[in-house]
Amino acid sequence: MTTPAQSQSQTPVSGIATPPVPHGVGNPSGTPVVAPTRTKDKDGASGSVGTFGVKSGLAQMLKGGVIMDVVNAEQARIAEEAGACAVMALERVPADIRANGGVARMSDPKMIKEIVDAVTIPVMAKVRIGHFVEAQILQAIGIDYIDESEVLTPADDEHHINKHPFKVPFVCGARNLGEALRRISEGAAFIRTKGEAGTGNVVEAVRHQRAVMSEIRKASVMSEEELYAYAKHTQVPYHLLKETARLKHLPVVNFAAGGIATPADAALMMQLGCDGVFVGSGIFHSGDPAKRARAIVQAVTHYNNPKILAEISEDLGEAMVGLTIDDNLKGGKLANRGS
Amino acid sequence: MQPLSSARDNVTVGILALQGAFAEHQVMLQKLSLKRRVVIVLAKPVWGTCAGAILLAQAVKGAKKGGQELLGGVSITIERNGFGSQVESFEAPLEVEGLRESNRPFHGIFIRAPVVLSLEPGPTDPPIQIISRISTSLLPPGQTAVPDDEDDTDPRDPRTIVALRQGMHLLTTFHPELTKDDRFHEYFVRECVLPTLSRASSPA
Repeated sequence: MTTPAQSQSQTPVSGIATPPVPHGVGNPSGTPVVAPTRTKDKDGASGSVGTFGVKSGLAQMLKGGVIMDVVNAEQARIAEEAGACAVMALERVPADIRANGGVARMSDPKMIKEIVDAVTIPVMAKVRIGHFVEAQILQAIGIDYIDESEVLTPADDEHHINKHPFKVPFVCGARNLGEALRRISEGAAFIRTKGEAGTGNVVEAVRHQRAVMSEIRKASVMSEEELYAYAKHTQVPYHLLKETARLKHLPVVNFAAGGIATPADAALMMQLGCDGVFVGSGIFHSGDPAKRARAIVQAVTHYNNPKILAEISEDLGEAMVGLTIDDNLKGGKLANRGS
Repeated sequence: MQPLSSARDNVTVGILALQGAFAEHQVMLQKLSLKRRVVIVLAKPVWGTCAGAILLAQAVKGAKKGGQELLGGVSITIERNGFGSQVESFEAPLEVEGLRESNRPFHGIFIRAPVVLSLEPGPTDPPIQIISRISTSLLPPGQTAVPDDEDDTDPRDPRTIVALRQGMHLLTTFHPELTKDDRFHEYFVRECVLPTLSRASSPA
C-alpha cells in the first residue's frame, strides 16, 4: 500500500521496534499486527477483526448521514435524537479551539466514555496528526472511529500515523486528490474535506471538494502513461490513482467538513458529490441546536429538493457567527496542517 | 442467475434508502436485472440487513434512551451492537443453507452487528427457519455476546444465528451488499419474492 517514498519516510517509526506501531490494550496478544488487507471473497478465510473491509464498511453505513461535534453527553443525546449517524466527541468545538488558542490535544478519555455510554450510534474522537499513542488510547477505550485531525495541534509535522496496524478505523482530512490518496495509502478508511474548521464559512470545503472531484474527472480519462505521470506529480501510489480513476470516485467514502453551518451548506456539499457531512461548531454554536441539527440531517437526505430545503431552512434561529478566511484569521488556517 | 428465469422481469424490489450502503444493494439487485422502486410494506417480502434486521425484529435490547421505533414483522428479540464496538467488527466465512453453490462459504462482513437473543414465534406466526449460524471460534476475541466457556455448548443458542427467515421476511445481521457476491440477493428474490408473485398470479 505504500510507495517507496512513503516506506522510507516511515522507517524512523518502524526502526524503533517491531511491531512498527504497537496495538493498544484492546488487542489481545493473538491478533496479528500485520496490516489487514482489503476484503477478499476467498474461500475458507478465518474470522478476522480490523480488516479494511470492516473499517471502510462502517464508513459506508454512515453515507447520507450527518456526523456532529459534541462536547458532552447531553449534546450527544440531542444529536442522536436529531438523527445524526455518528457523533464526534471532543472537549472544545473548533470555533472554541480557534478562539482560545494554545495546543489542542486529544480529549479526556473519561469524557469520551461518558459520550459512548450516552448514545447507541458510533462515536468518533480526534487525535493529533502523527500522535499514534493518542490513537492507541482511543482504540483501547473502544472508540468506533478516529479522526486524525488538523483541527488539533499536530504532534508530528512530517509523518501521519501509520493507520494500517490499528483495528479501529481512521478518517482523515484532505484538500485535494493527492492528500486524499496519500491518507488512504497510510490506511485511512474514510476521507473528509478539510475545509476551514471553526469558521462557519463553507468556502474552503467547497474549494477542497471541487479540487478532489475535478482531479478525479481528469484522471478518469487519462491513458495509462498519463496516469503514471500523474501519480508521480500528485505523489500518490499508482494503484490507488488507477482504482480511483476507474471508479470515478475515491475508493473510500468521502464526507464534507470544515465550515458547514446551515442546511443549505450541507446540501451544497452533497450536490458537489460528497457522501455525507460533518458539522462541527455549526450546531451547538447556533441559536437552536436541536432544530438546526434536525434541519441539517433533513437537508442531507433531501439535498436535491429545493422545496424541502426551503421548508427546513425556515425559522432556525441564529446561525453561528461566520469568520472571513484571510491571513488575519484568528487561529490561522488549520487546513495547511499535514499534507 | 438461471433460477430466476423470466419471472424476474416482473419483480420490483424496493430499497428503504435512508442512510448506509443502499447504493451497494442497488448495484447488487441491478446485477440480477430487476427493476427497483422504494416500497416498504410488511405485507410484502422484506429483507433487513444489520440495522434493517433490528427494524424487522419485534423487540430490541440496547436501543437508544427513550426507546426505538421498530417495523416488526419477525418474531425475535435482537440486541444492538451485540458483539461490542467497531473494534469488534469482523469478517468470517459462513455456511448458508439454500444458497446457490452452497458448498462455497459466503463471506460475512459484520459491522457493529446485532445479535439475535431469542426466537419467539407465536402459534399463528410462520415458523422461523435458521439459514446460517456462525461458528463461535470465528467470533472476535474481544466480544462478550457469547462467553468463551460456552464454546461447545448448546448448538441451538440463538446468539450464533446470523441469518434467518420467517415466512417471506429475511434477516441477516451482516452485510452481503459489501461483498462482490450476489448469492444472498439472488436467494432473497428466489426464496422470498418470487413465491409470493406466483401465488398472486395463480388463478383464484
